[in-house]
Amino acid sequence: MQDDARPKLIGSRVQRLEDPRLLTGAGGFVDDIQLAHTLHVALVRSDHAHARILTIDVSAVEALPGVLGVYTADDFSAKPLHATSRMKGYQSTGITALADGKVRYVGEAIAAVVAESRYIAEDAASLITVDYAPLPDLVDPRIAAASNVLLHEHHDSNILVSRKFARGDVAEAFANASVRVKDSFRFHRKTPLAIENRSYLADFNKGKQALTLYSSTQVPGVIRDALAEILAMPGHSVRVVAPDVGGGFGGKASLYPEEILVSLLSRRLGQPVKWTSDRLEDLLTTSQAFDETIDAELAVDKDGRLLGLKAEILGDVGAYSIYPWTAALEPMQVAGFLPGPYQLANYQAEVVAVATNKTPAGPYRGVGRPAAAFVLERLIDMAAKRLDLDPVEMRRRNLVQPHQFPYRTGSGIVWDQSGFTECLELACKGVDYPAFQAERNTARQAGRWFGVGVASYAELTGIGSRMSAAPGMPINTGTETATVEIDASGAVRATFGVASHGQGLETTLAQIVADELGVPVDGVQVIHGDSAAVTHSTGTYASRSAVLAGGAAHLSGQAVRAKVLEAAAFMLEADADDLDIEDGIISERGTNKTLSLAEVGRAVYSEMGRFPLDMRAELDLRATKFYDPEFGTTTSATHIAAVEIDPETFIVTVKRFLVAEDCGRLINPMIVDGQVHGGIVQGIGAALFEEVVHDQNGQALSASLVDYVAPSAAEVPKLEVLHLDTAARGTLGGYRGMGEGGTIGAPAAIANAITDALSHLNINISQLPATPERIYRLVTQAIEGDT
Amino acid sequence: MASHRGEAKLIAGGQSLMPMLNFRLLDPALLVDISRLPDLAQITASGRGITVGAGVCHHALMRSPELAERLPIINHTMQYVAHMAIRNRGTIGGSLAHGDPAAELPLLAVLLDADIHITGPAGDRTARAEDFFLAPLTTDLSEDEILTAVTFPNLAAGSGWGFEEIARRTGDFALAGAGAVLTLHHGVIADVRLAMMGVDETPRRLPAIEAMLLGRAWDAGVRASAVRQVREQVNPMSDLQASADYRRHLAGVVAGRALDTAWAKGHMP
Repeated sequence: MQDDARPKLIGSRVQRLEDPRLLTGAGGFVDDIQLAHTLHVALVRSDHAHARILTIDVSAVEALPGVLGVYTADDFSAKPLHATSRMKGYQSTGITALADGKVRYVGEAIAAVVAESRYIAEDAASLITVDYAPLPDLVDPRIAAASNVLLHEHHDSNILVSRKFARGDVAEAFANASVRVKDSFRFHRKTPLAIENRSYLADFNKGKQALTLYSSTQVPGVIRDALAEILAMPGHSVRVVAPDVGGGFGGKASLYPEEILVSLLSRRLGQPVKWTSDRLEDLLTTSQAFDETIDAELAVDKDGRLLGLKAEILGDVGAYSIYPWTAALEPMQVAGFLPGPYQLANYQAEVVAVATNKTPAGPYRGVGRPAAAFVLERLIDMAAKRLDLDPVEMRRRNLVQPHQFPYRTGSGIVWDQSGFTECLELACKGVDYPAFQAERNTARQAGRWFGVGVASYAELTGIGSRMSAAPGMPINTGTETATVEIDASGAVRATFGVASHGQGLETTLAQIVADELGVPVDGVQVIHGDSAAVTHSTGTYASRSAVLAGGAAHLSGQAVRAKVLEAAAFMLEADADDLDIEDGIISERGTNKTLSLAEVGRAVYSEMGRFPLDMRAELDLRATKFYDPEFGTTTSATHIAAVEIDPETFIVTVKRFLVAEDCGRLINPMIVDGQVHGGIVQGIGAALFEEVVHDQNGQALSASLVDYVAPSAAEVPKLEVLHLDTAARGTLGGYRGMGEGGTIGAPAAIANAITDALSHLNINISQLPATPERIYRLVTQAIEGDT
Repeated sequence: MASHRGEAKLIAGGQSLMPMLNFRLLDPALLVDISRLPDLAQITASGRGITVGAGVCHHALMRSPELAERLPIINHTMQYVAHMAIRNRGTIGGSLAHGDPAAELPLLAVLLDADIHITGPAGDRTARAEDFFLAPLTTDLSEDEILTAVTFPNLAAGSGWGFEEIARRTGDFALAGAGAVLTLHHGVIADVRLAMMGVDETPRRLPAIEAMLLGRAWDAGVRASAVRQVREQVNPMSDLQASADYRRHLAGVVAGRALDTAWAKGHMP
């Protein structure tokens, strides 16, 4: 970054460059893409959770006008792809286009009808009958873990991952404790619920023997590499394009059977093949998350200092170990982040991830950390109550202090310098904590069920090559790439491997490039989400794109700036060190000599004779750089919530919600606020509303948006967000990742606030979502227990 | 309709029918669009009450000056119906003919003792709202009949009214809802109607509680007794959002609150 005096775009609330397109309906999503001769797919999906497929009768369909064919697993010879892991004892599962001989969850695709229209395909699919031999439905992970009935016959048991680790002397910590608090916590299953359902369009070009898959994916690079393997095609002949994508939240960060299916069908039929999920299919088949039971106990000394923590984490990971993240992703992250941002030397945890007859679990905004924060922050409040210590003071005494960074946690995670204590103090200042408590006390005295709750957390973001995005995962995701180039017209293009699906990366990455080059932000075209545009990339997930792609944007922007200045210096007969670039005009300080970028571009590409031969070999205005933050960085925050519970209906209203967070240097505070807001709303959903429910036969009961209740704008209070806005030391540009934090802190803060509001009844919230039904039962039991 | 008996469906706003078609729960051979029939879009005041055409949408009910003058409980209650986009398309005829036990307009029809006007091959007839709703999503309307209008009788002068509902989110189907209207005479209840929704197979009045309230002031003791009796007399179902126990509890809450409001309004000049 050049240190000139003009205002920087980085740090400015630049309006999102993609919004005019998206808000006027001019965006282009996969389902908007119309290719000539496209065929459409409807899927016959399992209505059994666990069954052997006996016969698939398609006879009623074959004569139907407009139907081109019906396909089952027998029609494809592609080998299943396995999400492998280095973790000892891990058992993988294969992913195929269609269920092969057996179904393992309700909604698993069995047969694909290909027809001239989706209407015909759906009509045909409804005429196909499947005969099943039912197998025992393994719905409860405890039962599945002990069962002799196996979801995957080649496994030793239904336990896909089992791991124990310990650090310090936990037994002694508990023996020495003044206070021990424990509970069995339950975080219920969620679905990411992006507004755009998953959609895939495969276009196989027979002449070129090349496939293009348009996919509503967060990870075009991962999908490209996987399809190249499955289809046995060279990578250069497989292109995966993520055009405008309407939200992902992790639900579009894995490989899906339908992506394989449309690719195989298009290659076979030589025509484009499209499948777009409807909402029912989305609720049945998009990866779900956060399904854990966590038995945890915390030991604390008389001053409230954390001595030791023990946890048993039982993760229900559904029917398959998802590609590429594996079944270890969510439950292992719970264990990894459970010690939180606190000084806690003694920790032991046992993680068991069990396959059940439910939709496969995968990444969802926050991965593991929402459940971890919920458990630890509840335990801290329980201990604080026993010690009659204010929850904020309890956290103040235990947070890792500024002089202690880098700090290695009980699980081995290393926190780099981050504003743990600063966020706590900023949040308290933001709500005026003493006044906030007084307001709570006044409301209580008036008989209102009013409570406040605090939650602090830390997370690793922008993970580099020395860390793993998912424990044991063989794919390294530690780098990202950026190519910046200026063409003969002087226009700037910046090409990335990451894929924006709502985060505003077309704006924030353009801000970085524009600052580096000295051009207007709307003069930078950002290309993203196209595997063919870069040699290698994975995509956008795990709060990585601002840090990794942003770092690469700085590096390639700087490199191109140097090239521009070298060419301009030659043209102006000046010293490159004396040149500035502002608004696309290069000028020599102290003179009135100027050149436009267009003039430089034209000279370099169309008037190359102006430059000596030895300069020309290196003189394209283009650079590709990779950035690897090596370890990544630590993002932290404190959330404070106030809630009121209607004592008659038990409905919880969030009255106030404030976040103080350290995401390093802000590229665009408006976009950061929007990301935090969205995360909090999903956290409110996890705390109060959202729950995927299966019955004892594995039938999904929450299979519509009437039954899967996500918060709407009316359920969300005004959200207040405060930033430390100090540059991180460990990353280029000083950024930390911030896309997920809102979801991590909110469930814990709200659970603590609800518990506070119910403190007169001695009720502990140990299950989320805290629905009115659950609170009704807890209150009824508490009152009956009293009388 | 007659030529496609059993195979035809009327469509007006489509706010219940379209989701059922999308889910492939219904597969009618013929859809008859009645949304542009001008006669169905009228709100007409007469001496006896207000007649609302079947094609009048929820939003028009919410904004109707005729209703605001004589039956403001209808304007008020429409805010609880789903969301604005749905209120702009969904019609009173559609809601009544669909007969969802947790919907607001069937409750209002029962509470306000509405007459439901029906036309069919056999001619015109009128059903009392109380007799019209037979079971969840099942009404007295036969397959070749069309619901044309609803007449809400005027409320007695000085009536107090209240409506309360509890839902998971703004605009969701009610977990429980209650409407109440009453008149006072010398500080006691002279006439009262109380109807519930979402806590039984159909919206229904609670005549035993109405009878208990006659001649009494709405004081804490009477209120507690009424709330208890409501919980005894409703017959709710369990679903994903609420157990029968919790719904029964809520039935008492909403009935008590609706009567609180009605009692307070009944005292206004």
